[in-house]
Amino acid sequence: MSRLKLQQICKYYDATTALASGDLLLESGEIHVLIGANGSGKSTLCKVVAGSVRPDGGLFELNGKPVTLFGPKAARDMGICLFYQELSLANSLSVAQNINLYHLPTHAGGLVDEAELARRAEHYIDKFRKVVGENFSADTPVTKLRPDQKQLVEIMKTLASEAEILIFDEPTSALDRSQVDCFFSILRELKEEGRSIIFISHRMDEIFDIADRITVIRDGTTVSSRPINETDQATIIRDMIGEQHETAAQISVSPHDQMANAEICLKAEALGGTQLRNVGFSLARGEILGLGGLHGQGQSTLLRTLFGAKRLTTGTLELNGRLVHPASPRAAIKLGFSYVSGDRVRDGVITGRSIMENVSPIHFLKDRKFLAFPSVLSRVIEPALASLNTKYTSLGASISSLSGGNQQKVVIARWLTNPPDILLLDDPTKGIDLSAKSELFALVRKLADEGMAIILYSSEDSELLAHSDRILVFNNGSVSRELVGEDKTRFNLYQAAYSGAK
Amino acid sequence: MTIMQPTNPQDSRSSIIVYFKNPLLVAFILIVLLLIAGETLSPGFASMEQILRLLIVAALLGIVAAGQNLVILGGREGIDLSVGGVVSLSAVLAGNVMDGNNANIIAAILVCLAAGGLVGLINGVGVTIFGIPPLVMTLGMLGVLQGLLVVIRQGIPSGLAAPALANFVSKPFLLNLPGILWLWIAVGLLMAFLLMRTSLGYKIYAIGSNENAAYMAGVPVKRVRVMLFALSSMFAALAGICILGYAGTSFANVGDSYMLSSIIAVVLGGTPLSGGKGGYTGTMAGAFLLILMQSILTTLSIGESGRQVVFGITLLFLLLFYGRSKALRG
Repeated sequence: MSRLKLQQICKYYDATTALASGDLLLESGEIHVLIGANGSGKSTLCKVVAGSVRPDGGLFELNGKPVTLFGPKAARDMGICLFYQELSLANSLSVAQNINLYHLPTHAGGLVDEAELARRAEHYIDKFRKVVGENFSADTPVTKLRPDQKQLVEIMKTLASEAEILIFDEPTSALDRSQVDCFFSILRELKEEGRSIIFISHRMDEIFDIADRITVIRDGTTVSSRPINETDQATIIRDMIGEQHETAAQISVSPHDQMANAEICLKAEALGGTQLRNVGFSLARGEILGLGGLHGQGQSTLLRTLFGAKRLTTGTLELNGRLVHPASPRAAIKLGFSYVSGDRVRDGVITGRSIMENVSPIHFLKDRKFLAFPSVLSRVIEPALASLNTKYTSLGASISSLSGGNQQKVVIARWLTNPPDILLLDDPTKGIDLSAKSELFALVRKLADEGMAIILYSSEDSELLAHSDRILVFNNGSVSRELVGEDKTRFNLYQAAYSGAK
Repeated sequence: MTIMQPTNPQDSRSSIIVYFKNPLLVAFILIVLLLIAGETLSPGFASMEQILRLLIVAALLGIVAAGQNLVILGGREGIDLSVGGVVSLSAVLAGNVMDGNNANIIAAILVCLAAGGLVGLINGVGVTIFGIPPLVMTLGMLGVLQGLLVVIRQGIPSGLAAPALANFVSKPFLLNLPGILWLWIAVGLLMAFLLMRTSLGYKIYAIGSNENAAYMAGVPVKRVRVMLFALSSMFAALAGICILGYAGTSFANVGDSYMLSSIIAVVLGGTPLSGGKGGYTGTMAGAFLLILMQSILTTLSIGESGRQVVFGITLLFLLLFYGRSKALRG
């Protein structure tokens, strides 16, 4: 009898399916790895197990008995505890208090038993003593810790729950090698004690190091589950992609050969900063350079750094043969950069103001305009909107009255009034409809053909493969592989993204 | 109080409110209603002469509120609590520089605008460079200015308005209207032009609506915000000079009431404290509406303290609606 048995678990958020048919069999004394592409549903499945997401259907059996979980507390009472990827620490409390957060030891009267709290905290800190690094003690407030130390505290807190089923959702993203080794030796001890561990990681080497069994999820459905010694990297990646996708990756006609004698306009060498390590590339006019890899590996950071919105600490940036150092978006815009963010609510849309006001800022800046007469402005703004097929009633209408796709078009039109040399696209199609997406990419290709240099990051791998001439795969802040021409396939993209620097 | 109905698309569902969505329209309706009420309570209240008198007082408030309006439009909890202090400072400075002599008017105006600009610059730098919340920064500045005035003047009236200034404020100047009203009209036209026909105006609304998006679109957010605080203090300084002309001489606390009333005028006029929308035309109506209310309260023999209570309650009431519109947006 399995310790935990999930069958055909499904979960819907309005029209989107987060999980279509999630299956999972978890044995006692097993380390079970879950893997799948971004948004495949593995985090949702974990949250179902931990009781923080209520499934819309399916079978959930714990030790052979069907159960329904009413929240994470109920799950913990049944011996299930989840390590949260986005961390769930109380920042102003100490390390010791955070470790004990799930089970505060109390005296009879309900007061916290400080001595017991300290003893328990020390017990878990001891396990990591060699790798916690400097300025770390039981009394340190969590807010003063480094990111890797915070992650260790979250791990200790999860361990301190003493749960029988422990779920770790990307617990090692901020840890270094020795910390990971220490953590893995603890996981093996737990396994020996007969506890069950669900482990999510994107690092192939780690997975083959620790897993007993690996289950692959694709598009919300469990597609395979194999013992680790009966599988290999290529098989896993093929499972993640799915056979039908294998040939779907489009290869543009020998794009890089054309680029070989093209005019290089941007050259970056050894760029460094928070989240960026030794990034170098060159970008030619007319080229669409794709940035690939897992979420948050530095792609967006690179774009924001080029645009002057994040600080560049080391490295050189050469624009048309001239060294530049954009210190603010304003400076970057004057140099010829432009930036379109997928998070248009945060970075793009001037909320509640008219379409005209939303399109005009770059025109004002680049043409040094002070007067803003609508009749004059509309002559600049209307063609920009028209080139994107933007649907709107009048320039005076509020941008909030438009659909997401049209709002994004308005934001992009802002840059087309005074075309930039370099267009930085930071996941530009996030949350917009399919027709707007294809219109947008058609425009991007047209701009490239007209000589604009474009860097595109997309969280959708198929977009990236279809629309970029060349792809830089990011891994932990640096470029791990460049995919050009025939190499630009989904398989290679996944392999580079998941198995790290080669 | 349908005035505060925000012009939010989400709100347009509530049926009656649709017609009252335009704060300007509501303010004008209320103005007419209050005039009728005043006339009923005390015949002669709505006479041309009396309305002119009220308009002069409203103009003084309206000029202060112009600056307040700009700071509030710029968003990020933008508010200028130091305007009252600047009004007093400017009135005292102007009175002492002029000393009853027409020849000194230009010098007085320059000194006052410079002093106001400096105060606003300090406010702006404190808010943008040092990250002090506007509420705290300008409240601190108000304290400094009030203290300074008490130390210098010990509460004794000082300085004398030049006769030309006094005439400009209260005597007919052009088309039977006093100069101060023409000045107010000029301020109104200037504000409308600035906000609706210049890129600076667009930038003000942009940083008030979504500061980060404005920054990413190359708007020099800090520079614009410093400018708003500087303009606010300069408008207050201008009002201070006019108040000297209105009163003849100046007290250290002559501007005190303008802090609260300038904010109410702006909010009454349809600019929410969250910034990013609204405009000065509404504020002008708001200023006149407020002065009308004040006058009616006086007619009802409610004293200064009673009026302050009513104003305070009015502001709280308006903010209640403002808070609701914010919750809806979130």
